[in-house]
Amino acid sequence: MVLLKLFLSFMKIGFFSFGGMTMIPVINDEVLVHGWMTADEVMDIVAVAEMTPGSLGINCATFVGLRTAGISGAFCATLGVMMPSLTLCMAAAHFIMKLKGNRTLENIMSGVRPVSMGMLLAVAVTLGRSTFWAEEAAVSLAGFHWNLAVIALVCGVLMFRLKLTIPRTILLAAVLGLVMG
Amino acid sequence: MKEGKGRKRIPELSKTPGTPEETGQSGGGICPPGRVGRLAVMFWTMAKIGCFTFGGGWSIIGQIQAEFVEKRGWMTEEQIIDFMSLAKSFPGIMIINMSVLCGYAMEGAAGALSAAFGLSAPAIVAIGLVTYFYSSLKSNPYVEKVLNGVRCVVIPIILQAAWKLKDRSLTSGISYVLLGIAFVVCAFTGISKPAVMVAGGVLGLVIWRGGSEHGAA
Repeated sequence: MVLLKLFLSFMKIGFFSFGGMTMIPVINDEVLVHGWMTADEVMDIVAVAEMTPGSLGINCATFVGLRTAGISGAFCATLGVMMPSLTLCMAAAHFIMKLKGNRTLENIMSGVRPVSMGMLLAVAVTLGRSTFWAEEAAVSLAGFHWNLAVIALVCGVLMFRLKLTIPRTILLAAVLGLVMG
Repeated sequence: MKEGKGRKRIPELSKTPGTPEETGQSGGGICPPGRVGRLAVMFWTMAKIGCFTFGGGWSIIGQIQAEFVEKRGWMTEEQIIDFMSLAKSFPGIMIINMSVLCGYAMEGAAGALSAAFGLSAPAIVAIGLVTYFYSSLKSNPYVEKVLNGVRCVVIPIILQAAWKLKDRSLTSGISYVLLGIAFVVCAFTGISKPAVMVAGGVLGLVIWRGGSEHGAA
């Protein structure tokens, strides 16, 4: 029963959010209503999610499931939060593969592709703003984290010029962060 | 645990459908023939990628590009660009959406499952460990420093992915205009990403309906 509740709750969270920080309010509602976590614990899990690889949604589902009903709880909650991907995205993938070469879809995609590149660059800017500047401070020279910008620059150059692989670059960044972060 | 099994199975499997020389030459011995072998490789590769998804997970775009397009040739660059926008526009978790779309494109429904569970496996293991050590990690200043370093490298990774994918998405002058508009809208307004995607699709339909006829003629 608890397992089913976990599954359904996190399925709801999955369907009504778009990943990342937008999940927090939805997660908050669900876990507080069921008494699975306190508001403080939700903020803790956000911090934990930042510390570990993987998205906030998966991390949160695993954490709550584990706390509430052990390993099987973690499995049910995680499966629940993955449901939109496993249903909607699977269907979308199916249609896209089926319509490959379709003129209309190609035209639509010709418009979507540059837009998604613009979105990707916008993500870089947004992330840059929150990474290189202290959070509360406005974007100014004083609040700029020069050390972090140097790490990004060094890693970027190594990756572009010397073809350093992404996992190695991330490990290098972790070491550099330890030294000068 | 599951990864280990999948990995061990690879050499056994490759004996049946392909000759040793074949397995040796394809992708440096990491690309065995056969469907189950491919699924195992996808699970394992996605699990590797999953170990490095920090900072919102956008770095997986670059990693999928490197692993499945450049190294193995199981996907095309167009697919990555198309899936990227879909993954962001659909509800749920972007990186899981991305893995399902890519997995499905490579090996159907089984591929989607293998990719999605592979990607989330490291997260699930990590959360178990971190939850256990949380209070000591929380107050550890070195953890914060390492995370700062990791977070800022996500930006060059994204830029590199964008650079590599640009030829496939920016095919004409109009597409640069679309890119500019989308960039400004996404970076400086709160308009939702699915809405921006739909707008892009509609514009594409309108713009290239005439344009593609010219191109074909």
